[in-house]
Amino acid sequence: MEFNASSPIWMQVTTRIKTDMVTGRLPPGAKLPGGRDLALQYTINPNTAARVYQELEKEGLVEIRRGMGTYVTETPERLEALRSEMACEAMEDYLERMAALGFSRAEAITRISQEDEHAQE
Amino acid sequence: MLRSEELTKAFGAKTAVDHVNLRLEAGHICAMLGPNGSGKTTWMKMAAGLCKPTSGTVYFEGEPVGVNSRASIAYMSTEPYFYTWMTLKDVGRYYGDFFADYSAERYRELLDRFELEEGLKTKTLSSGMMAKAKIAVTLARDAKVWMLDEPFNGIDLVARDRIKEAIISAAAPDKLLLMSSHLVEEMESIADRAVFLRKGKLIKEVDIDTERAETGCSIADEYRRIYGGQEEEDA
Amino acid sequence: MKNLIKYEFRKTWNTKMIILGIAAFAEVAFLVSLYLNLEEINGLSIFALTMLAFGGVMFIGIQSVLTMHQDMNTRQGYMLYMTPNSCFKILGGKVLENGLSIFAAGAFFFALGALDVTLLVAHLGQLQELINVVNSFAKQLSMELPLNAEFFGLLALNFLCTWLNVVNTAYLADVVATCLLSGKKHNGWIGLLLFLVISGAMSALQQAITKGMAWQPMLIWDAVIALACAAVMYAATAFLMDRHLSV
Repeated sequence: MEFNASSPIWMQVTTRIKTDMVTGRLPPGAKLPGGRDLALQYTINPNTAARVYQELEKEGLVEIRRGMGTYVTETPERLEALRSEMACEAMEDYLERMAALGFSRAEAITRISQEDEHAQE
Repeated sequence: MLRSEELTKAFGAKTAVDHVNLRLEAGHICAMLGPNGSGKTTWMKMAAGLCKPTSGTVYFEGEPVGVNSRASIAYMSTEPYFYTWMTLKDVGRYYGDFFADYSAERYRELLDRFELEEGLKTKTLSSGMMAKAKIAVTLARDAKVWMLDEPFNGIDLVARDRIKEAIISAAAPDKLLLMSSHLVEEMESIADRAVFLRKGKLIKEVDIDTERAETGCSIADEYRRIYGGQEEEDA
Repeated sequence: MKNLIKYEFRKTWNTKMIILGIAAFAEVAFLVSLYLNLEEINGLSIFALTMLAFGGVMFIGIQSVLTMHQDMNTRQGYMLYMTPNSCFKILGGKVLENGLSIFAAGAFFFALGALDVTLLVAHLGQLQELINVVNSFAKQLSMELPLNAEFFGLLALNFLCTWLNVVNTAYLADVVATCLLSGKKHNGWIGLLLFLVISGAMSALQQAITKGMAWQPMLIWDAVIALACAAVMYAATAFLMDRHLSV
């Protein structure tokens, strides 16, 4: 995985795993690799890998079972909430970038429905 | 775990390491960064007990480094240093004869991972193969500290990933890994701490992810900022 | 220590095998020429064996000094000095390996020489004649030398001990030049000068102590003094390495 320079690596890996949870590539209850394996998978520092799981646990997205491993949460509400959080982030991101190009919020929203109509034609 | 106090080494008129105070703790992979001639190799050689400081001291677990610390600190120099009559098998035997923490099994495993045969003569190795062999035998020691001087020099992209994997596998809460490099990007994801040397002086110590979070700067950005416009110094 | 000695031997065994090979070749030439009465070849092979005995022992010492120099001045030195061994042990390994090799080579050539002389005498029956020639030559120099096995044995022992001492003195001179004078101008020449001065002082010491002694105690005392000096050289060299060596 290529990392961008501006945000911490643990955050980038966390986002990647969250995406996998939302898309179902990591279904509820799935076992995640151990800390060292995660480090190897992404070629990152083992301390960074540990941090990733700490953050995910803090957000209630994984359960760390002592001596067993780390599992994706089986609470569907939590995953649903994650999905809408990430959707919000994506929309915010879109609106920010449009604002940077000089579009008002209303214009940005109109543009995206126009784009959608084009795509449907 | 490993600490230098006012460490200085002068070669004639040139001061290679200049009053460096540095404290490195276990549980980290630390990148030692700086262009050629900034003092990385000299600092490591003094910490390895191969080179005597002009003044100052390096301490390992509270004791000045010396004969005893060499049993726990595995140093890999950037230049090839195996005896020319050796095969890779001989190299492994040599480490087995002198280091109690050496594992022949781990050595074979690493040679396999790097696609090297034990029967190869060190004299005939290409520079990339030699670099991999040095790392294999150094990481085959279950040392408390590994110091790897320029581990990615002369190594192709695929092998670099293999080496990073081997380094990540070796890392543990009670171990310290110190790697020097001028290939900063290679260090970016696997190191969690970085120290910057310039003209023998310690310029900066950073926690890599904290630095990114606070300044939005990667260590490559930081490197450019510190050494920008400065070409390689005299080695 | 066993491992240090093992690898010191491994670093130098090539030339030792070459010396053995040449000795074997010369010995075969000697035996064949003796059997076939080829006098010229026989004389030549005796000359070659004699030269090889001295040259071989001396070369083993010289090579040890060269290896030591390489171990301090090339990357190969990392291999040795990164092992958890003190300079006293590392140098001890070198001194012991070299001492053993020098004495083994000395014993080998001495035994070979004794065998060949015996064969020569058996073949020609002329030993007494030979001894008489040498003795009359010695008498001219007003020396009374007993040409028997004891004399030659002690002489060989004396030569080996003296040579061991010379090698250890060379270690010290090299370490001084490399560690204390590194980067200084003419450090090699200063090292050489130091070597000559120490060697001169030691032979003066030997002469002062053994002055007026009969040949027997003189040869023994000479050897003992040489060994004692070698031990002092070893300790001084290791001490300097311990404090000042940077590879």
